[in-house]
Amino acid sequence: MITITINNKEIKLEKPVTVLEAARSAGIKIPTLCWHEQLEKYGGCRLCLVEIAKVPRLQTACTLMAADGMVVRTETEQIANVRRGILEFLLINHPLDCPYCDKAGECELQDLVEKYGPAKGRYKEKKRKVPESLEDPVIVRNMGRCIMCTRCVRMCRGLQGAAAIDVISRGGHSHIEPFSGGKYDCEYCGNCISVCPVGATMSRLHRHGYRPWQMVNETETICPYCGVGCTLIVQVRDDMIKRVVPRIGSVVNNGLLCTRGRFGYEFVGSKERLTKPLIRIAPKLSADSYQLTANLFREATWEEAISLVAKKLSEIKEKYGNSAIAGIASPRCTNEDNYIFQKFMRVALGTNNIDSAARTGFAGAQNFIENIFGQGATANIIPGLSNSDLVFVAGGDPTTVNPILGLQIRACSRNGGNILTIGNFKGIEYCSPQKLAPVLYTEDVLLEGIVTALKNKKGLSGANPKLEAKIKDISTSIEDVKNICKIKEKDFNEFLNILSESTNPSIVIGKETTQSNGASYHLLLLSAINYLINGRIYLLSDRANEQGLLDMGCAPDILPGYRPVSYMEFRRRYESIWKSEIPEKQGLTIFEMIDTARNGSLKAMYVMGENPAYNLPDSKSAESVLKNIEFLVVQDIFLTETGRLADVVLPALSWAEKDGTFTNMERRIQRVRKAVNREGMEDWRIISEIAKNMGEKFNYSNVEDIFNEICKASPLHKNLTYEDIEKGEGIYPYKGEPLRDVMEEIRFQFPGSRSQGSDGKLYLRVERPLFHSGTLSRKSSALMKIYPHAVARINDKTANMLALQNGEMVRVSSKKGSMELPVIIDDMVDSSYVMLTNNFEGKGAFSLLAYQIDPVTKAPIIADMEVSIIKGRLKK
Amino acid sequence: MEKVLLKNIDNPNSADINEYKRVGGYRSLPKAFEDKPQEITEMVKKSGLRGRGGAGFPVAMKWLFACADTKFPKYLLCNADEGEPGTFKDRPILEKNPHLLIEGMVISGYAIGAQYGYIYLRGEYPGAYHILNRAIAQAYENNLLGDNILGKGIKFHLVVHRGAGAYICGEETALIESLEGNKGQPRMRPPFPVNVGVFAKPTVVNNVETLSNIPLIIEIGGEEYSKIGSPDCPGLKLYCVSGYVEKPGVYELPMGTILRDIIYKHCGGIKDGKNLKAVIPGGITTPVLPPDKIDCPMDFVNMPKHGSMLGSGAVIVMDETVCLVRVCHRTLKFLEHESCGKCTPCREGTGWLRSILERIENGAGVEGDIELLLSVSGNMLGKTFCPLGDGAASVVQNYIKHFRNEFEEHIKNGECKYE
Amino acid sequence: MLSEAAIKELNEIRQKYPDASAALLPALYIAQREFGYLGADAYEAVSNALGVPKAIARGVGTFYAMYKHKPMGRHVVQLCTNVSCMILGAEKLSDFLKNKYGLEPGGTTPDKRFSLVIMECIGACGTAPAMLLNDDFYENLTEKYIEEILEKYK
Ligand SMILES: Cc1cc2nc3c(=O)[nH]c(=O)nc-3n(C[C@H](O)[C@H](O)[C@H](O)COP(=O)(O)O)c2cc1C
Ligand code: SF4
Ligand code: SF4
Ligand code: SF4
Ligand code: FES
Repeated sequence: MITITINNKEIKLEKPVTVLEAARSAGIKIPTLCWHEQLEKYGGCRLCLVEIAKVPRLQTACTLMAADGMVVRTETEQIANVRRGILEFLLINHPLDCPYCDKAGECELQDLVEKYGPAKGRYKEKKRKVPESLEDPVIVRNMGRCIMCTRCVRMCRGLQGAAAIDVISRGGHSHIEPFSGGKYDCEYCGNCISVCPVGATMSRLHRHGYRPWQMVNETETICPYCGVGCTLIVQVRDDMIKRVVPRIGSVVNNGLLCTRGRFGYEFVGSKERLTKPLIRIAPKLSADSYQLTANLFREATWEEAISLVAKKLSEIKEKYGNSAIAGIASPRCTNEDNYIFQKFMRVALGTNNIDSAARTGFAGAQNFIENIFGQGATANIIPGLSNSDLVFVAGGDPTTVNPILGLQIRACSRNGGNILTIGNFKGIEYCSPQKLAPVLYTEDVLLEGIVTALKNKKGLSGANPKLEAKIKDISTSIEDVKNICKIKEKDFNEFLNILSESTNPSIVIGKETTQSNGASYHLLLLSAINYLINGRIYLLSDRANEQGLLDMGCAPDILPGYRPVSYMEFRRRYESIWKSEIPEKQGLTIFEMIDTARNGSLKAMYVMGENPAYNLPDSKSAESVLKNIEFLVVQDIFLTETGRLADVVLPALSWAEKDGTFTNMERRIQRVRKAVNREGMEDWRIISEIAKNMGEKFNYSNVEDIFNEICKASPLHKNLTYEDIEKGEGIYPYKGEPLRDVMEEIRFQFPGSRSQGSDGKLYLRVERPLFHSGTLSRKSSALMKIYPHAVARINDKTANMLALQNGEMVRVSSKKGSMELPVIIDDMVDSSYVMLTNNFEGKGAFSLLAYQIDPVTKAPIIADMEVSIIKGRLKK
Repeated sequence: MEKVLLKNIDNPNSADINEYKRVGGYRSLPKAFEDKPQEITEMVKKSGLRGRGGAGFPVAMKWLFACADTKFPKYLLCNADEGEPGTFKDRPILEKNPHLLIEGMVISGYAIGAQYGYIYLRGEYPGAYHILNRAIAQAYENNLLGDNILGKGIKFHLVVHRGAGAYICGEETALIESLEGNKGQPRMRPPFPVNVGVFAKPTVVNNVETLSNIPLIIEIGGEEYSKIGSPDCPGLKLYCVSGYVEKPGVYELPMGTILRDIIYKHCGGIKDGKNLKAVIPGGITTPVLPPDKIDCPMDFVNMPKHGSMLGSGAVIVMDETVCLVRVCHRTLKFLEHESCGKCTPCREGTGWLRSILERIENGAGVEGDIELLLSVSGNMLGKTFCPLGDGAASVVQNYIKHFRNEFEEHIKNGECKYE
Repeated sequence: MLSEAAIKELNEIRQKYPDASAALLPALYIAQREFGYLGADAYEAVSNALGVPKAIARGVGTFYAMYKHKPMGRHVVQLCTNVSCMILGAEKLSDFLKNKYGLEPGGTTPDKRFSLVIMECIGACGTAPAMLLNDDFYENLTEKYIEEILEKYK
């Protein structure tokens, strides 16, 4: 126990802290500027100088550790003079432009000057002038206001790990700059903005838009973008989101955000939002040619649209049977929405034909891993990554798919942990990872090599006989790894040594693994590695409620609580609660739906908050199937590619306009809260109305009603309440019963015959950019400004061969189609492939892809797609 | 007295290992290896040796702190940044007598248990860089550096690291930062370098001249050494004298030599028989002294009693033709240029002081400027992160203290009367 | 891109430190020699070689006065004007360089023969005024002596 005295007040301290922290804990305010609770100590601004008895020199409270018996004084005349002096120094070059400055009202300098500052300046020389910089799409800089606290630099390097900016020059010439000297060209997380105490670095989105004190409403909610589930504070005025900021102390993201969470909110207020139900009046055209025709739909009232949908669905059910209808749920919708959706499909339409885009990788992979390690195997705490001593990354760049999780990997590296990667991931380069980058499509051989070597080194413990039986069959020599993967023995051995010596490892798996040729085999190999090093698995999840929708039973084979539909006892349980029979037969996966519709036996589809005509591989083919289906309902906030093919379009409220819960990739359930008002209905309400119209009892008055039903029905969510969630207790396995003892045999499929990257051909790989997410981000102008259009990334060898310069137009073609777009020469790309995004209108990589289905995970295999590039545009 | 630190430097081959050995070099090293490391530290403690870099910290005390820390490895850094303007005392050792320094470093490394040493050499000494590298190569060839020095199983490796033009890197924590590849900005203390120094390991930083005294201490013993010079602060000292004296240069004298004697006895008095106006005794950031205050013993203990500091022992002598406002202005211009920018008072204050001095020197000073100088410097003094900013404030205060009339004259006349 | 010799030299220097980033200052010297000055290319090359983020490498490089951020003349006159040199006439020598050679502080002659850099103390105070010309010291300077010296550098 340490006892110190500050201003005659005795303070007892449990653990060693700084004098500043001790003072704060006792409610004594010491002014600070360079200090920030999230950042490394600095001691530069000198504002926090205090008197310590028996120490002649004043000391900075923010750096000095409190020692037992220390006597501190913070409010003496001397200290007042010091503060005035320091503030005067800071003001000599500070423009006195508070009337124009957007920071006024929440500026730490302004507040301090009011309280402690000099009355008038004595500096007669010219002030330094720095013009406003609007070089960056989301950041506005007024560096004349900068007080050189270096908080932004410490944030960018220390916590964001991007090290995009630094202090340039020294002394009075010091100033903050990115490498280019001009544009930041960085990850645009905006975390530097959060910590700038003055109006030097600010968000450009609300420039001259409002004054901080005019913000009427603040709502704490969860980010709508990815599966990390960051806490956001949404600040609103006049029912428009003006700003999104993080909260220090929030569990997952603790004061940090990524570019999407911070700047990606503008879709909510987009003018393109759907407002009224639409009913088709013109024949269906392809999604691309939509622009050419104006009047595809007419606006309708809710009553008309709802009864039309109810009527058509009933007719089709009547005419073709329950299996002729299918529904696609949404990983962007809440648990409550999704629960109602699957209940509607099962109860009102009597089908298990429910699936979602989680089928494109996450769902099958999670199933596979849980079948080996038990339910909840991937429900690992994200901040736990930074405490690992090793993070092993395969199949995707976590810093772009799940950026805040990516920061935890960077933190792990900063804490001295080892980062190992299979392949090159730009966002992890900062960590100087130990990399093994096998030739394209030979990853399985490398993983086999790793499993073999680990097995030989560590032996098998006997803990998991089923898995061990599979491991025993794996045997690949280092020679094969060398020859096939083109990996040096030395690198392999080094990698393996680090891997095998780890005591607290984490494995991160991305979509390229779950969509690879032989995905289930890759997953087996990674599971084997996880088993041999005794690690834990993180499965990257690119949608906010991907996990939640599975837990809500939006899958053809599972009921809420992740209960297999094929087990009678589970069906009985839900039947008794829902008072309705549940079909025994597993439903169709999203890909089977497309196939079944193609052959004509699926007649109607209900798509909620998803865009299969764009987001599924071989999207053109999906599009033509959806175009020809007898009845298509699309419920969304925008008229998407899929919406344009619909018979009825139902406008939904967005995430910002409704209450509910999301379940993140850690399986943490968190509250989504309504931040802005808007006329319209939530997804669950629309569906309930349709159900009621069909004669079903879907009488919910609010989301809590639904949640309570979920927690009554689902054994996993047993007894959980909103109150628990508010208290932060929505942590897996909640108070419920995870599924036990229904493990099946481990089945997998070896990779089929395939090409290997060294054959001189070019293959297509999908870029998953930080600045976009599906097609939603298109409607956020800030994100569009950062990453405005589709590009093809190629490496410099490919560029040389085709005599291409950065930015030149090319035509990329596969057997599925072709598109024109500019190239970017990217040194992280290999000469065996081209990278395309799947985010921009008419330029989706998925339209060039053909796929097969992995029989175990039911996920699409989208490897092996050969493409060609030719320079220039197609001559018309 | 026979020269030790500057022994043989008039010989053009003095930097060669054979020349050094010929005049008795590398004899202390095997002698030191016969003792236990603690015994050497004890000897250094008895000698009363204080650091020659400017602060005058007792050398043995620093070594003992580093010895007490159990982290491994330990580092010995030689501060060869010699940045304090007016200072050119380390340069003759570095250029003419590098083996003396190497010998001193190997012994010191042995004493503190450091197996790695770096010489942080200022970028402005390109010649010394090559000379040191050659000398180090010769020492390796002669098994005086390496994994098994003189076959005694003692390991010490030495690397020269060039600075790149930043005065603040002479400050030991900034030096450590710089050696690690960072900006040379001072670090927070505690932790002290003896515990968490370069590469987060226990580190001793000593000046070139400090380390070059070690072989002599080994040779004659601590007790004998402590009899040289001032009893309060014994040993040999290099005084480097520049400005208006007949014979400027580096003088190896006993510590505590009277400043007046240095100027008049050793350096032949004021150049061209002019009158003395002011003396800076220890480099330009030490307090300036008027002619009637120069009867002081030049050592770390006595100089503060006489209103100044020994600093680096860099004596700058100014005669009646020198404008002190201008010198003060030039000093602040230097400190503004060298401020690392980490802390507010120094980053903003040095420039402000410089600009006020500039207008006074240019004849544009106004009434109240002297008070403004005193107030601004007062707002800096004692509030900066490291001594550089304090130095800037005290320089201004001291020039005003002793030569206020000169500032007043400039303001009153609206011009500088000196050419 | 650094030359092969430079990369080899850098790798050797790298071995002298326990951390790669400690080799940053020497690496910047090498890059400055190779590129003539430290521009974006030079920083990128060093950043790639040592794994130090490029913005940080540039931050460090711009902290130190001896790294040049624009092209220099073939020979660099580094004239000290600090106190000891100043009181003995260094500033007049600076004027002389300007009047006679058109060499302004921080500037380069149109024929790219000389650049002039004003130095803080270069440790030659006892023989002031003094300068470094490239790597060589010249001391006790006078206008006439400077003329003679510059004559030797073509
Ligand atoms: C601003 C500043 C500049 C300094 N410059 C030097 C220097 O150039 N050379 C030096 O040896 N010590 C310099 N020092 C002192 C060092 O911080 C440190 O005290 C010294 O290297 C310790 O060695 P010593 O004990 O052998 O003197 C400087 C200190 C300060 C505050
Ligand atoms: S936006 Fe993020 S990445 Fe960019 S400079 Fe700021 S902290 Fe760094
Ligand atoms: S931009 Fe803001 S955070 Fe960065 S140093 Fe300046 S005042 Fe501090
Ligand atoms: S006083 Fe402050 S700004 Fe000046 S050199 Fe020291 S730390 Fe840097
Ligand atoms: S807050 Fe303590 S020095 Fe800045």
